[in-house]
Amino acid sequence: MQLDDSDGALGSWARFCALSGELVGGAGDLSVGPRLAPVVADLCARGLATLVRDYFLHNLEEAFRNNAVKMFWQKFHPYSSSSAVERIRFCVQESWPEDVLSAALEDICLEKSYQEKCVLVLAHALQSYEEKAQNRKLKAVECSSSLMPRYQLMVSSVLLTTLPLSFPEILNVYFKKKLEELNTMVDASDENDQLASHALFGRSNVSAWDSKMDIDSQETVISESCTLVKNIGKVVRDFRCLGFTSMTEDSYSSAIIWLLKSKVYELAGDDYRIPVLGSVKKWIQVVPLQFLHALLTYLGDSVDYDSGLSGLKSPLASRPSSFPGIGVPSEALLRWHMRLEYFAYETLQDLRIGKLFEIIVDYPESSPAIEDLKQCLEYTGQHSKLVDSFISSLRYRLLTAGASTNDILHQYVSTIKALRSIDPTGVFLEAVGEPIRDYLRGRKDTIKCIVTMLTDGFGGNTSGGNAGDNLLEELNRDAENQENADYDDHTNIDEKQAWLNSESWEPDPVEADPLKGSRSRRKIDILGLMVSIIGSKDQLVNEYRVMLAEKLLSKSDFDIDSDIRTLELLKIHFGESSMQKCEIMLNDLIDSKRTNSNIKTSLLNAPGTVAGQEEAEISHDVLDATIISSNFWPPIQTEDLAVPASVDKLLSDFAQRFHQIKTPRKLLWKKNLGTVKLELQFEDRSMQFTVVPVQAAIIMRFQEKPSWTSKALATEIGIPVDSLNRRIGFWTSKGVLTESVGPDADDHIFTIVDSMSDVNKNSIVNESCEAFQMNEDEGESSVASVEEQLKKEMTVYEKFIIGMLTNFGNMTLDKIHNTLKMFCAEPSYDKSLQQLQSFLSGLVSDEKLEMRDGLYLLKK
Amino acid sequence: MARGENSESHGSGNVPAAPAPGAASASSGKQAPAAARGADGQSVVRRLQSELMALMMGGDPGVSAFPEGDNIFQWVGTIDGSAATAYEGTSYRLALAFPSDYPYKPPKVRFETPCFHPNVDNHGNICLDILQDKWSSAYDVRTILLSIQSLLGEPNNDSPLNTQAAALWANQEGKPPSFSEPPMLIDHQPVLGSESACSVLLLVCAEFRKMVEKLYKPA
Repeated sequence: MQLDDSDGALGSWARFCALSGELVGGAGDLSVGPRLAPVVADLCARGLATLVRDYFLHNLEEAFRNNAVKMFWQKFHPYSSSSAVERIRFCVQESWPEDVLSAALEDICLEKSYQEKCVLVLAHALQSYEEKAQNRKLKAVECSSSLMPRYQLMVSSVLLTTLPLSFPEILNVYFKKKLEELNTMVDASDENDQLASHALFGRSNVSAWDSKMDIDSQETVISESCTLVKNIGKVVRDFRCLGFTSMTEDSYSSAIIWLLKSKVYELAGDDYRIPVLGSVKKWIQVVPLQFLHALLTYLGDSVDYDSGLSGLKSPLASRPSSFPGIGVPSEALLRWHMRLEYFAYETLQDLRIGKLFEIIVDYPESSPAIEDLKQCLEYTGQHSKLVDSFISSLRYRLLTAGASTNDILHQYVSTIKALRSIDPTGVFLEAVGEPIRDYLRGRKDTIKCIVTMLTDGFGGNTSGGNAGDNLLEELNRDAENQENADYDDHTNIDEKQAWLNSESWEPDPVEADPLKGSRSRRKIDILGLMVSIIGSKDQLVNEYRVMLAEKLLSKSDFDIDSDIRTLELLKIHFGESSMQKCEIMLNDLIDSKRTNSNIKTSLLNAPGTVAGQEEAEISHDVLDATIISSNFWPPIQTEDLAVPASVDKLLSDFAQRFHQIKTPRKLLWKKNLGTVKLELQFEDRSMQFTVVPVQAAIIMRFQEKPSWTSKALATEIGIPVDSLNRRIGFWTSKGVLTESVGPDADDHIFTIVDSMSDVNKNSIVNESCEAFQMNEDEGESSVASVEEQLKKEMTVYEKFIIGMLTNFGNMTLDKIHNTLKMFCAEPSYDKSLQQLQSFLSGLVSDEKLEMRDGLYLLKK
Repeated sequence: MARGENSESHGSGNVPAAPAPGAASASSGKQAPAAARGADGQSVVRRLQSELMALMMGGDPGVSAFPEGDNIFQWVGTIDGSAATAYEGTSYRLALAFPSDYPYKPPKVRFETPCFHPNVDNHGNICLDILQDKWSSAYDVRTILLSIQSLLGEPNNDSPLNTQAAALWANQEGKPPSFSEPPMLIDHQPVLGSESACSVLLLVCAEFRKMVEKLYKPA
């Protein structure tokens, strides 16, 4: 049917143009349809089918662009053209994007549906021709089927090319507002039946899935929110049909995420004492998931859940997935659920990690937050984030010169406890603890603080420590565990148990440092970690010994029950042998008590005491001796002191008696140690004091004569003048003595104040009978401190080092270390390489040694 | 250890060679070389250890010694020449080898640094009575070192090992102190240059001193 009369073709074309223009431009008039069909058939027969289609679509596009699209964007024009500040005003308006959006969408969809009908008319015409052509076995271009998709493509491309920049923003605002509305709706109903479902709400996190949610009460909410969701669903559907599928999906999912984030922040906040994970999870089910469910059902694409994607399900999805009020969830909903929960975990985890320092400061109270964090980390696996952020906050906030060692130690203990519950394998604790340990090693008073924490279990911790920080408690628990472990050992022998144990083996977390041994060895033991700060338990035991000595020497009663308890606990931990000296010290105290009473009774019965009549007022009852085996005690500071004759007599009697009872042992008095309780009687008052022996010796001299020069008094008592001046200050400050300048400038005269009226310090009379305690600064250390001992040891090492360098010229650090280890016998060399290095660098800075290329040599 | 082996190979002359304790006890550390005398060996070690401690803590100027390597029977000593002698400003290294029956037998002592001295031969062996027949267990490392230090300033010319040195020494002892020699000679030697060089020259023959300097090769 080759018709080449061009006039016929032109005529048909002109008629087609007129008819299509009528159809597209005509408002709702589809009557041209039947007239169009023969023209189209004619043109198609001439092989112009594609031309027809393209012309028609072009016509539609022109019309769509000029009318509907322009109108559509015009509705949003006020917002798009306004400044950022004004935009906020738009957002505040309650119904702002909703009204505009739905009106605009309605208009444009109306237009579009009309045009779609036009397309259908043409498609119909084309189709009928194609059918005929097929019947006659003629070749024809298939145009009818591609017409509709082409039209859809045209619509969305027109819209997208004219899209104002602010449109996604408007969508965002819209979805946010709608979701908030939904949220408040649910919240309100939630509060209503809060009382009914209180137990459920308070239940912890994990069980939210199985919780038999109160479906009845929820359903009212659902029906209420149903209309809301329907509105949203309509908007979403309209957008979809305009080809904005992905943009709307982006918008509502970002709105959901945003809402979820703000919900997590609102729930979690800065309160670490309540678990929030459960309520977050519950909220996810009640609000966003209900919303999504409704939306997806409304849109009708939630039925495709039987796809074979089960292999992709995460552990989250494999839980019994019965949604309250929803029934069997669709695959899409399940994925949403996973996404949202993961996001919630991550948000909460980031929030908690950021505040981990504060959480740990609050530790036992904040354990719910720690528990939440633990669960979050189990899902997200971002432990390294925790380690990094916590270490940096530690460095910034704790490991500074301003923090006291005690606080650092307390925080360290809390960190250990908190991280132990997050990660029982201790891998992350190791990473976090390392900087703290390194820092603490640099502090001089670390050992002292640790020992104080160990021993001061009973006294109130003044420096803000709470009971949880008590290391003694830890000791206790340790002891119990040990007992349990022993018990376990006996029952665990059967093979079945061993098999069970081996089955429960789990590999280390991937972050574990393989160099540091497996978890079986990495038992988290707070005391062990503390000792590892110090380096060796010997140092700790030594410091403890010094402290114990100090404490025991200052005791006047022999009540050492608590010390015995502590020692027993320490023995369990550190072993009998290392605590042996301390045990002897305590035994000395117990023996002292016995020996004291023994000697006293024997002295009373002895006939020789009659000679002591003139000093009748001082009986042996007033004397309590602490008898120590000095070999086992730390070195004790001695100072010469001449006690008054009457006391001296008492002491020597006692010593003599001791010698008689315990031959060949002898008692050597350390006269400067101990405490003296005395009462001073004046003309008009009496005062009681507890003082050190030197002070007692001073004041007793004033019994003989009322005034002394400091030099004379010093020689009488047998102490240097400056130390006398220091001690006598106690009495002048109490108003017992007065000081006046004597003949020499440096020789002062002290006179006793006999009557209060002399000096008008009447206020003192009121408190005259008060028992004065020793001043804080008077309580001098009676035991040589560990540092002093260390210094003494180090001078020996210094001589050895100089000796070996004289003979060998130069030596490496290792060589010096080994040589000292080999030949330095007394005191035996037990320092670490690091200690030696710091000691050597001290000698270098003292210009005694030089260091060149890793070799030490003598400075010439 | 290197020095310990040296003493074995050079240990000839009038001082008998040490029984190489260093080699015998290389692995056993502080253990005495003579295994049969374990108990005694232990007491020798203790004695040497306490001598070391006394020496270190005593702090005698100019003398020092220290066990070498991991062997407490083999020591290295250092002696500084006393002021106002021909040896002023020098520092001599010694090797001391203690026998396993110390202190009943004297240690073998040898100069490691070459020393020009009437009583020291060119292998470093020393002729000193307390290191041979006059030895007593009351002596210790400290007294040995001090004796050798004083031997430097006061040689015993009656039993010389180095006849050249003995002759030179006798020569200068006989002569009155020489004032003609200019003190500049000594100042050329950076090692020996010291403040009291002038006073040294008043007493010591410069020729002897020159020989000391010529042989002196510090490690």
